[in-house]
Amino acid sequence: MLKDSFSSFHPVVNFLYFLAVILFSMFFLHPVFLGISLLCGMAYSTYLNRGKAVRFNLMMLPVLLLFAVMNPVFNHEGATILVYVNDNPVTAESIIYGFAAATMFVSVIIWFSCYNAVMTSDKFIYLFGRVIPALSLVLSMTLRLVPRFKAQARVISNAQKCIGRDVSNGGVIQRAKNGMKILLILITWALENAIDTADSMKSRGYGLKGRTSFSNYRFDRRDVLGLVVLLLLIAVVLAGAAAGENNIVYFPALVVKPFSPFSLTVYLGYAGLCLMPLIMDLWEDAKWARLQSKI
Amino acid sequence: MGSFAIENLTFSYPEQTKKALDHLTMTVREGEFVALCGRSGCGKSTLLRHLKTVLTPHGTREGVILYNGRPLEEADQRAQASGIGYVLQNPDNQIVTDKVWHELAFGLESLGCDKATIRLRVAEMASFFGIQGWFMRNVTELSGGQKQLLNLASVMAMQPGVLILDEPTSQLDPIAASEFLETVKKINRELGTTILISEHRLDEIFPAADRVAVLDQGRLLCYDRPAEVGRILKEKKHDMFWALPAPIRIHAGVENRLPCPLTVRDGRQWLDELFRDKAPAQTALPAGEGTEGKAADGAAPAIEMKDVWFKYEKSAPDVIRDLNLTVQSGEWMAIVGGNGTGKTTTLNLMSRLSRPYRGKIKLHGRELSKYTDEELFHHNLGVLPQNPQALFVKKTVELDLMEMFSGRRMTAEEKRGKAREMAALTEIEDLLPMHPYDLSGGEQQRAALAKVLLLEPRLLLLDEPTKGIDGYFKRTLAGILKKLQGQGVTIVMVSHDVEFCARYADTCAMFFGGSVVSSGPTRAFFAGNSFYTTAANRMARRLFPDAVTEEEVIALCQRNL
Repeated sequence: MLKDSFSSFHPVVNFLYFLAVILFSMFFLHPVFLGISLLCGMAYSTYLNRGKAVRFNLMMLPVLLLFAVMNPVFNHEGATILVYVNDNPVTAESIIYGFAAATMFVSVIIWFSCYNAVMTSDKFIYLFGRVIPALSLVLSMTLRLVPRFKAQARVISNAQKCIGRDVSNGGVIQRAKNGMKILLILITWALENAIDTADSMKSRGYGLKGRTSFSNYRFDRRDVLGLVVLLLLIAVVLAGAAAGENNIVYFPALVVKPFSPFSLTVYLGYAGLCLMPLIMDLWEDAKWARLQSKI
Repeated sequence: MGSFAIENLTFSYPEQTKKALDHLTMTVREGEFVALCGRSGCGKSTLLRHLKTVLTPHGTREGVILYNGRPLEEADQRAQASGIGYVLQNPDNQIVTDKVWHELAFGLESLGCDKATIRLRVAEMASFFGIQGWFMRNVTELSGGQKQLLNLASVMAMQPGVLILDEPTSQLDPIAASEFLETVKKINRELGTTILISEHRLDEIFPAADRVAVLDQGRLLCYDRPAEVGRILKEKKHDMFWALPAPIRIHAGVENRLPCPLTVRDGRQWLDELFRDKAPAQTALPAGEGTEGKAADGAAPAIEMKDVWFKYEKSAPDVIRDLNLTVQSGEWMAIVGGNGTGKTTTLNLMSRLSRPYRGKIKLHGRELSKYTDEELFHHNLGVLPQNPQALFVKKTVELDLMEMFSGRRMTAEEKRGKAREMAALTEIEDLLPMHPYDLSGGEQQRAALAKVLLLEPRLLLLDEPTKGIDGYFKRTLAGILKKLQGQGVTIVMVSHDVEFCARYADTCAMFFGGSVVSSGPTRAFFAGNSFYTTAANRMARRLFPDAVTEEEVIALCQRNL
């Protein structure tokens, strides 16, 4: 099981956090912002998924390099020409832009891997169930049906294999035919059994007026605090964005806003935002260790 | 609050002249435990469905149903939804959502309860049913028994006054089934909820029921206390008598004036009473009578497994460990044992759905892996899956049977002839024009069997062939299998149904921890077990240790009286 204290926050806090971080990562192409986002994303995903995440993050490195190399091949804009290849100029700006775009791409992917670990289906259904109540039940039923269909498809496939009619038996055409047949059985089975499900729903009063939606979540004081901190940090970053701290022009030549104390505040704010879950986790870990040592 | 009075209820389905329910009159009192039994298709489900308006089937109907003294139709949907709980047969189909907690809350959400109320009721139910441990889980991770328990709990969360259960345990293994029925009894005992349950497994439900109703072709045959019902069915020489618990049948088969026992415990005391003054002189039937194992006759064994090991994944634990099993040609072998002991996996190994990572499997003296698919599944190996629905493809049973010949050079007439022949053997001739999904469990089973048999297997593998089938269909199935055995087919069957194995199999093998712990000719096998044996044997083993079936116990009693 996941041992991450940020996950135990109310889904609204979780969702707002990821919404902000992923959007910022996508739109801020300033190298400092990119670097902060990438490093923090890697750190948090490692904390969440341990060994699996390390491998995943390492796999991202070649992607990063590939992007950086591919960009100058197609993009010849920029003022600083380094070398000509087949009469095409390779510019420093396009290489740097390639790196920036790749970092953006990779960090968004990594943040999504964190999102997946934290925002379980329960939370997602809960959030969207509040907006559109019918949707939450549909989502929940879908999540129930997908594994069922998969399991039943295996049962049918095994049964058909034993009469020599699985997708693994016969030539290409025969295989395709057998595959179709399995699909057909699966559909018949699904429709047949859906009648029972409908009965079970009706019998438990589905369709009566005034259906409510139950959830296991409660918005407590810790959530309020988390939300306030989150909104403050987002405000700092947005203020920075409004002042143009995150602006960067890559072509024809690099233009960045000069460094100032305010930039530092915005950088720190952004780092604080990206590291928020990790800081909470480490804080709780330390607290736990302290409590244990007192016993 | 939950009582029903059914007066003169007659019902027939659209476009059918036969009445599904025929002038039926019965009452169910507040807090009563009523068991409903009868053969498949006798109208049990139809009757139960009439007791809740949203589930009532379409058709022509006469008569009145009173719910708490007033006509059922007058009770509004909200009152019915919470007041009348309904649990259906298939555990999987009834579950609507993906999480256990959400499923528990589903009914209460429909009723529009607020969050605090739902939280309390759900917590109460989870505690009552012992669900806390898997409260946050996905429903896919649950076992069949847990799923059915969840269905029951999510109905009980709405606090119904009457609980209707339509063959709730037919898809469960015996241990999960008795656990489920225990919970139902507990609900009746501790909450006073009225229970109406239809069941095939009468062994457990008979002693618990206040009254038992027996239905026959839509008519109420009798409705009385359990012991009385046993007497009436015996007097009428009715089919349903064969489905009654062993103690009742043995009691009925022996001349005596003592009261009828309902449970194994009562049965033991009854036998003690019967033989109080005279100890039985003859304690075993002479050899050759009753079920006896078949001796090997020199031919290569149908299947031979030597030192077989199997696991599903490299790092996973072994499912089959050091398994040695030989099935002689022409033999009917039953594999019994608890859940997760490797029984079904063994069948999969025999049918080559899975391959062992160590050890050898020989089929008719030749290594299994050397067979081509064509060789293996034509004239050699037939597998009847646990869920026969996985085999049906066509609109009617007849087309489905003929589909087995697709790709072979045969005229339509030849195909039809062969299909009819097989239909005759499996006794499904009347069902040929019907859609496979419209058949009952037992009929589907036989249609699927016919389909498999068209490949003319020499070895037939059956996975839980008696699951969800009533006593009458079981006997039909056994008759068909015996016929096949007579034609030289070897049968290997995995089953939880001890009574069925004891009555029909030649040899039995008990699985535990991925291999066979004991095996032998059926009678010796069951006589050697003290718990894992038939009800008749458990009842009589102090006096007649070798008697396994009711007939043997009855015969021995008669000889000694």
